[in-house]
Amino acid sequence: MKNRLESIRKELGIKQEDLAAALEVSRQTIGSLENGRYNPSIILAFKIARYFKMNIEDIFIYEEEENDENK
Amino acid sequence: MTKTNNSKTVLFALSGFIITILGLIMVKNNLVQIDYLQTLPYLMIGIGCGIFGHNFGEIIRQQTNKKYPEEAKRIDIELKDERNLAIANKSKAKAFDLMIYVYGAVLFSLALMQADFKVIIILTISYLFVTLSGIYFRADVEKEM
Repeated sequence: MKNRLESIRKELGIKQEDLAAALEVSRQTIGSLENGRYNPSIILAFKIARYFKMNIEDIFIYEEEENDENK
Repeated sequence: MTKTNNSKTVLFALSGFIITILGLIMVKNNLVQIDYLQTLPYLMIGIGCGIFGHNFGEIIRQQTNKKYPEEAKRIDIELKDERNLAIANKSKAKAFDLMIYVYGAVLFSLALMQADFKVIIILTISYLFVTLSGIYFRADVEKEM
């Protein structure tokens, strides 16, 4: 799953630390989300979408061919 | 942290300290004369130290949290962070899988070494207990999800 978190955050001029504090997660989690190393839970995805006042689909992009979570 | 919890922690720390001191006095003055109770003072020292250490640590943690609320909030977030929890769970699961193999290898080696039957049977029972616990928790979690 890809996401546009980094570009959206930078567009709005929000620091990783501030986003992490608002979502009550660690800064490392934000970093991992932006790098695509970690896929968020549905709750965190909703929190992120709500924070940016967007739909989940506007931030997270599901790509079927890359769906290999079982590895 | 509520006031009741605070006083409970202090009470437990105090009782741990008292149990340790009592144990030390019993060892020093050789107060236990009954044969099968010879280990009691040492058990008291061990358990007392454990209770005291755990609760005293908790008291220090509470005091530090009061002094540095920002830092306390950061630690709380780190503890509840879903990625950190996922990392902890994944590493625990991997370590458990590894433990199953290690346990099996140790059992096999002990059997080849013709170790005492009691040792092998205790290890076999604990091995079975661990594997059956795995099955039990799987069924339990399946009910939840």
